[in-house]
Amino acid sequence: MIGKAEWFTRRKYGGWGLFPKVWQGWVYVLAIATPFILMQYTNFLSEKAKIVFMVVWGIIIAVDMIDIMARLKLDEREKIHEAMAERNALWAVIVVITAGVAYQVSSGIVKGIVDVDPFLIAAVAVGLIVKAVSNLYLDRKD
Amino acid sequence: MKTKIAFYREQLNITQEELAKAVDATRQTIISLERGRYNPSLHLAYKITKALKKKKIEEVFMVE
Repeated sequence: MIGKAEWFTRRKYGGWGLFPKVWQGWVYVLAIATPFILMQYTNFLSEKAKIVFMVVWGIIIAVDMIDIMARLKLDEREKIHEAMAERNALWAVIVVITAGVAYQVSSGIVKGIVDVDPFLIAAVAVGLIVKAVSNLYLDRKD
Repeated sequence: MKTKIAFYREQLNITQEELAKAVDATRQTIISLERGRYNPSLHLAYKITKALKKKKIEEVFMVE
């Protein structure tokens, strides 16, 4: 699409996503950020038009970045490291979500109304489904 | 796992970066292999052996 995988490396120490590796990557970052910045100072477009433009531009950028990440090559050692780091991050998230659900349930019992955030439940459910499907796929593949 | 990657690489006068590109790996992986900190897959070990112009994997990689 727009950006090239050779311009970027995966973020390892500061979250998820991409980080520019060469000057072309920085030019790409500037190019995608410029329309958002310009929209703040433009008066010839209505507010509605600005919102539509930013949503469309945001979708294009998101699709392009997903495409770049899919094309980023990792060698076997990097794949193992990434898998282990992502697994550790997932376990940390699961611990926090479980603590959050436990807190909401226990404080709800004390108040007499149990009200658990459905997104927390959905996060755990989706994680369970993704893990099961992944294991099914890997068992059949190998 | 001990390796003679650095020894044979220097004999052929190629850099870590050049060897990495030849076997579709990163320079960091080659460094880890040379220091014995990473055990490669059979596929990668075979590619490195070929890139170093050796016939047997055992000439390059030694199980401790």
